[in-house]
Amino acid sequence: MQRRTFLQSFAAAGALAALPLGMSKSLAAQQDAVSVKDLPALKGDLTLYLGRGEGGLYEKVLDAIRQRNPGLNLQIRRGATAALANTIVAEAQAGVRRADLFWAVDTGSIGMITDAGLAKPLPDDLTAQLQPGFQYPLWSPVTGRVRTLPYNTDRLTADKIPDNIMALADSNLDIGWAPAYASFQSFLTAMRILEGEKATLDWLKGVNKHAKNYAGELGVVMAVERGEVDVGLANHYYTLRLKAGKPDASVDLAFTNADAGCLVNASGILSLTTDELTFNFMRYLLSAEVQAYLSSEAYEIPLVRGIKSPTGLPDLSSLNPPDLDLRKLADLRPTLNLMRKAGVL
Amino acid sequence: MRAVPKSYPIAFLIAFLAVLPLSVLFTLASDTSGLFDTHNLRVLGNTMALVGLTIVGAVVLGVPLALLTTYVKMPLQRFWLVLLAAPLAMPSYIGAFTMYFALGPGGEIENLLGIPTPSIGGLWGTAIVMSLYTYPFVMLTTRASLLSLDGSLVSAARTLGMSLPASLAHVVLPRIMRSVGAGALLAALYALSDFGTPAILRLDTFTRVIFVEYNAFGLSQAAMLSIQLLVIVALVLFVESTIKGGTERPGKQLWLWPKPWQRYVMLLCSLPVVLMAIVLPLSIFLVWLIREGAGDFDVSYAINSAYASLLAAIAAVVLAIPVAHAAISGRAGRLMERITYFGFGVPGIVMGTALVYVGLKLPFLYQTLGLLVIAYVLRFLPLAVGSVRTTAERLDPSLVKAARLLGASPGEAFRRITLPLTYRGMVAGAALVFLEVMRELPATLMLGPTGFETLATYMWRVYEAGYFGMAAIPGLLLVFLSGIGLMIMLTGEGGNRLKLNEE
Amino acid sequence: MLTVSHLSVKYGDTPVVNQLDLALGSDEILMLVGPTGCGKTTILHALAGLIPISDGTISMGKWRATPRDTIAPEKRNVGMVFQDFALFPHLSVEQNVCFKLKDTTLADHWLKLLGLESFRQAKPERLSGGQKQRVALARTLAHEPDIVLLDEPLSNLDAALKDSLRWEIREALKAAKVPAIWVTHDQDEALSIGDRVGVLNKGVLAQLDTPENCFSKPASRFVANFLGDASFVPGSLNNRVVTTCIGNAPGIPIDVTEGEVDLLLRPDDITVRHDNDTGNGTVVWVRFEGGSRLCAVALDNYEQTHVKVRVSHENTFKPGDRVKLTVDSTHALAAFSR
Repeated sequence: MQRRTFLQSFAAAGALAALPLGMSKSLAAQQDAVSVKDLPALKGDLTLYLGRGEGGLYEKVLDAIRQRNPGLNLQIRRGATAALANTIVAEAQAGVRRADLFWAVDTGSIGMITDAGLAKPLPDDLTAQLQPGFQYPLWSPVTGRVRTLPYNTDRLTADKIPDNIMALADSNLDIGWAPAYASFQSFLTAMRILEGEKATLDWLKGVNKHAKNYAGELGVVMAVERGEVDVGLANHYYTLRLKAGKPDASVDLAFTNADAGCLVNASGILSLTTDELTFNFMRYLLSAEVQAYLSSEAYEIPLVRGIKSPTGLPDLSSLNPPDLDLRKLADLRPTLNLMRKAGVL
Repeated sequence: MRAVPKSYPIAFLIAFLAVLPLSVLFTLASDTSGLFDTHNLRVLGNTMALVGLTIVGAVVLGVPLALLTTYVKMPLQRFWLVLLAAPLAMPSYIGAFTMYFALGPGGEIENLLGIPTPSIGGLWGTAIVMSLYTYPFVMLTTRASLLSLDGSLVSAARTLGMSLPASLAHVVLPRIMRSVGAGALLAALYALSDFGTPAILRLDTFTRVIFVEYNAFGLSQAAMLSIQLLVIVALVLFVESTIKGGTERPGKQLWLWPKPWQRYVMLLCSLPVVLMAIVLPLSIFLVWLIREGAGDFDVSYAINSAYASLLAAIAAVVLAIPVAHAAISGRAGRLMERITYFGFGVPGIVMGTALVYVGLKLPFLYQTLGLLVIAYVLRFLPLAVGSVRTTAERLDPSLVKAARLLGASPGEAFRRITLPLTYRGMVAGAALVFLEVMRELPATLMLGPTGFETLATYMWRVYEAGYFGMAAIPGLLLVFLSGIGLMIMLTGEGGNRLKLNEE
Repeated sequence: MLTVSHLSVKYGDTPVVNQLDLALGSDEILMLVGPTGCGKTTILHALAGLIPISDGTISMGKWRATPRDTIAPEKRNVGMVFQDFALFPHLSVEQNVCFKLKDTTLADHWLKLLGLESFRQAKPERLSGGQKQRVALARTLAHEPDIVLLDEPLSNLDAALKDSLRWEIREALKAAKVPAIWVTHDQDEALSIGDRVGVLNKGVLAQLDTPENCFSKPASRFVANFLGDASFVPGSLNNRVVTTCIGNAPGIPIDVTEGEVDLLLRPDDITVRHDNDTGNGTVVWVRFEGGSRLCAVALDNYEQTHVKVRVSHENTFKPGDRVKLTVDSTHALAAFSR
């Protein structure tokens, strides 16, 4: 779907009728997600701290919301997620509140704000739209991403990749990873919580023997595609985006089963005020149109009921992610200590 | 006892303001106990190695290129100078990530041209990229010094039977050590505080560890590490201050007249630098631009960038004047000047956080362009101070005395004598600050007004999301605008062109 | 033995030195003199190989330089004494003088001879101008050059020092038995020091001859004017005698053979006395020079012609005095076409 088409259709009054074929289909399948048509117009001043960039895609969503709501004066502050979280805490300490909403790339930052007692409880109808396991009282996931094992299709076939993440340590595969990357650290925190410190440390040491470091997970996926390594550890969307731009790319996705290796993490949003405007804004982000758009264009996993997963990714229901309270992933320090002990950070 | 120089109180105030945000670090770090383990020792080793190699690289590239652009008679002299200083207009992180994607197996060069290239990364790769983007600091400070040196000394050495290279080594080098050191200091501080390049090229340095801690919600640990980093900065400052160099009266400029083939060889030797640092990143940008299109770029980003950079450049120069004059006046002033250098050695994200805390104490300033400009000034003041000081040092003090005897008040003497004669240095300093502000990212993100988007923040946004094509237009614009700043700076570096036609 | 032929130097497209021919004897001192910008420093730099030449050849002993075959300065064994001394500021006097020397005997010799013993360890910045120039000279001579080039060595020194130092330098050069080219813009310096004098005008050598000949038989009015005070009085040349309104004198035709000429008169070629009745001129100005006075007299017949004449300090003249001028020369005077 063209970005511009989306923008126009979204902004148009009769959004549903004007929707192109692809989106109509995805909407026809949805049951619980709310259409923007049914949402109240947004009016007033709103300041959003946006803890990620995502190129033009999130911007497109925000632009569309702005266009649809001329009465909304939306100010956006962008920055590294942790930097914004620190800023919000500092502002609270100084008794200055500038942000109404905080949209964060990782749940760790969400945990930091909720732990500081700054997040306001969400209305029930809002949380009820989300898929089971993704309903939280103080914050709402917006989209999800799943941990994957991108592998080089010229060098490997899927059956050569263990379906247990812990087995990767004992394999003889060349592995690319990005230990300094926030998503990786969240994944490792999940492993620590699920498997224990000892097992995680052994795993780190084991993988480190045949791993190559990269700065970010996009780098990991590109390295896999180039054949620098056999297999990587990365969020799913980097691979899907790479393949979207380069359909013959020699990379594909493999998944592990019910362990940290296929952890589903989420970007999340929380409100720092009890103003109805902020909640309504969140409702827009969870609307069928936005969710479908983020799925089809940004390859993120919609977490509202009834929206299809992005092309190239199995449906969320067919994956078998571990059961975990995502906010626990904020407890990064023991993870970092393990990584240091293993010499990977 | 002599009276305290007039510039001291203002310089002291500025130096105090410059370290004020750093004092916030101590408050932030107070939550944490000692944090220095074996891992940090490795990181310290990496950091020192990177700084050391960057200094070596920047000097090895910068000093010969300074000699080439200053002393060698060449057609299109200005053009070569601008071209060779151009890496200053390119943020090193852009260089790092374009090189990262261009080189190595499966990189763009191999894809497009079929030429296999080694991939770049690790300590050596980072040091190479760092050197490529910091050598202009050394080149320009060295040039400034070379331009003011009496060239007949080299002629004297040669007529006494010393070869040209030996003359340069024995007669020129000892007298430009200070300037080389000043440039190397900037290169070292840049290497210490830059996050992007080591991160992209996979080298664990202090900034990277600080960044990891920071992102793991260890603000106090990050602050503690930053304080440790400040110790390194102080060490570098100290080492630089021990470099001796004479002050001497300027004399005739030296010109060397190589044969045409020698000229071509020299240019050919300097070409790889330009190819790597400028041509390669720009070409990669163009490839991405063609392949992926321009995206939703808005011209206002460029205007914002230029506007904020301009304000910061002007403010930095205005504040640099008393600091520079204090630095010339005496030891205490020199110390105040050194203090302002700390801001340049602190990673932007840490400085940004510290300034958030400072800014929150002044809510009327918080998240305004004003605070952002203050942050820029605190970070990049030393660049302006260095430039202003160099030209002010060359000013003959008897000129001001003459003006006073003709009846001018100190203010009038400054306005009518000192200012016009050091104006070029101020312009050069302002342009240097302009260049650095244009490519500054973390403080811009944290301190700018909400919704304030610049070229650097936009590029970060799209790069982070992996949409490289969208980075092309702002990237090219950033380089273009910085190029303008660079031209202004190089025309401001000294009135030596007048001497060209003299005997 | 230096030989220069057809030497030309250009800065960009501007010719600075044009078709210069020059040869120098084994211990001869050649003074190159001319107004600012005439190209004299450029010639030295070209001889030393510090700037490229565009035409001609320079040869000396073992080497021969042309525009194509450039010889590096360090290969020429040419010594140079710079106007601003060019002492290495980071080296002591001794280190400066011994710069490239392995055997320091000569350095000691020159340090002693030029009275620099007590400054051996001093840094150049602590020396006076005269001392600096002595160090520069000692440094040059100690390196045993085949020729010494001096670029206005005295121009940065005060007048009192100049007079003694110029002789000191000449003695030193003679003692070293080394030929030298000495560039100056000071005519007295040029005439008193040089074995020969070359007068440069706009990059062209106007005259190259002994000081005496340059002074009394200048090759052109430019040379006449540049070396010493010159007055030109109209007259006519017949049978090698010039007849003027203030007397006659034997004439040397320079650029004429016979007929209407301007006679070159130096201040000492004329006598002057007070004469209210038969005077032929009026005093315009008088300058006191210590031992003498220099007067300018406007001739009645040629009011535009001011004749400069030197008188003893005992004679007092005031502007406006009526005087009688008389040519009083036993030697022949130069006559130029009018």
